[in-house]
Amino acid sequence: MDASLSPLISLRHVGKSFKDGEVRAIEDISFDVRPGEFVSLVGPSGCGKTTILRLINGLITPDEGEVRVMGAAPEPGPDLAMVFQSARLMPWRTVAGNIEFALALRGLNRKERQERALALLGAVGLRDFANAYPHELSGGMQQRVGLARALSVEPKVLLMDEPFAALDAMTREVLRNELLQMWSERRMAIVFVTHDIEEAVLLSQRIVLLRPRPGRVDEIVDVDLPEPRWQKDPRPLPAFIEMREHLWNRIRGMAADGVELEELAGAFPRLGTPEKGAR
Amino acid sequence: MTEELATPVNRPETLLPPKVEKASATNTIAERARKRRLRERNLVVGVQVALVIALLAGMYALNATSGNLVMPRPDDVLRRSIQMWSDGTMIRALGESLTVLGLGFLLSATTGIAVGVLLGGFRFVGRVLDPFVNAMNSTPGAAFIPLIIVWFGLYSEAKIVVVWNAAVFPILINTAAGISNANKDLVEMGRAFGAKRATLFWNVMVPDALPSILSGLRIGAAISTVGTVIAELTMAQSGLGGLLASAGNRFQMDKYFAVVIVLMVLGTLLTALLRYAETRFARWRVSLSDNR
Repeated sequence: MDASLSPLISLRHVGKSFKDGEVRAIEDISFDVRPGEFVSLVGPSGCGKTTILRLINGLITPDEGEVRVMGAAPEPGPDLAMVFQSARLMPWRTVAGNIEFALALRGLNRKERQERALALLGAVGLRDFANAYPHELSGGMQQRVGLARALSVEPKVLLMDEPFAALDAMTREVLRNELLQMWSERRMAIVFVTHDIEEAVLLSQRIVLLRPRPGRVDEIVDVDLPEPRWQKDPRPLPAFIEMREHLWNRIRGMAADGVELEELAGAFPRLGTPEKGAR
Repeated sequence: MTEELATPVNRPETLLPPKVEKASATNTIAERARKRRLRERNLVVGVQVALVIALLAGMYALNATSGNLVMPRPDDVLRRSIQMWSDGTMIRALGESLTVLGLGFLLSATTGIAVGVLLGGFRFVGRVLDPFVNAMNSTPGAAFIPLIIVWFGLYSEAKIVVVWNAAVFPILINTAAGISNANKDLVEMGRAFGAKRATLFWNVMVPDALPSILSGLRIGAAISTVGTVIAELTMAQSGLGGLLASAGNRFQMDKYFAVVIVLMVLGTLLTALLRYAETRFARWRVSLSDNR
């Protein structure tokens, strides 16, 4: 079908300001996301990554340009599901109840909701915790619930806002793998925001590199690594290392252009390590 | 911390029966922790008992030096309490007070929560009414008693209005604050999944405000008892407040103290009950603050 070839999400010259126009968050952002594609938005803090996600979700509207999801202005709803940096679970509801909340918004009846919630919890390995409350779970488990909630509505687009940034390294590793596995099974489009270059290269098919203040597209690169990556770790591959180096060089270039390095130092701990030809 | 240090000391040189040793080590750790907790609790209770004894001794001493008018003997208070409970005076008075207290509190809880929800949920209404609510809340409740007497008379309905007037504002303000300060992240989450305004309000903002509403109710209940006694003292004398007044006027200090004790217990029970409700219905908030 033709529809599958046309972009699922398209941004054209999108700009957005905050605080009555005082703060320019993003400027002239244009890129597409095709159905089933895994796209990462990468860049130092202050480049408007989260703003772009919220625009795609329809939580905010652009000041300039146009955002289209499936050919129309986006509206929050079951076609778009968001996973946040913190799980954002309702503490007064059980784990299953939190997922059922999202399903109720889709208009499912009680029985369907319960079955679906349990099935999704099974998929993220938390079936035994259906009746637990969020505070009884670890951070990684909470984030799994957040992922299950987003997947439960069977979205066409999964929006992820630094979902693994607050987790410890081991949990992050496991969840990345699980995400790739689920994506290969379900093939929804994913827009993944991160400030972790390696994570972006590891997960995505395409990377939109952004530069900060205001957020603009620096470069859009295709990541051509053998699939499925959750079965074979691509990190030792020369292509992986090359891609990572390339992106780092772009960011060093931003630093040379006068982007504040303190911001970068916080976001990228590795920038401080001595490497040849920095700048 | 000390328990953890103790473990390696107990470990034998040969690790032949490791399982048994480990189990007994954890047993002794648990044992020590339990003993330490018990010791601490005993100490607290011991000091509390000592304080009560000192208080009673002080009452006896004051009674011996200054006479019955300044301080009744504790055993007289006890005797009088038994008499008042058995001849029905106390039960009747308690019934009257509880009626005023209960109805006044119920009225202030329903109106306070309803108006609070309105104020917290609709930013415009909240902004318009904020100065008025603050002005009313800042005025001492007793200031309205003459007006209430003129409008409602001296009997139960007027007393209920006094209680309502005292308790409604803390409930209202806590409810409104709880809702307007509802967790922004959760509200955004709800919006992102396509929740409409009404759903967001009832399924996210109001439950999120529940702990705040419950502490408003707890404060309101405490103020309700104050309002009840003030109403009973200043309007047609009735209930426990009326007993206080009549005993005080006749310098019957043993009777007076017997009533004060009932009020003390009543207030404590009421607050304990609502605290229990708070932990019961807002479990997550409590366990969040307990998780150090």
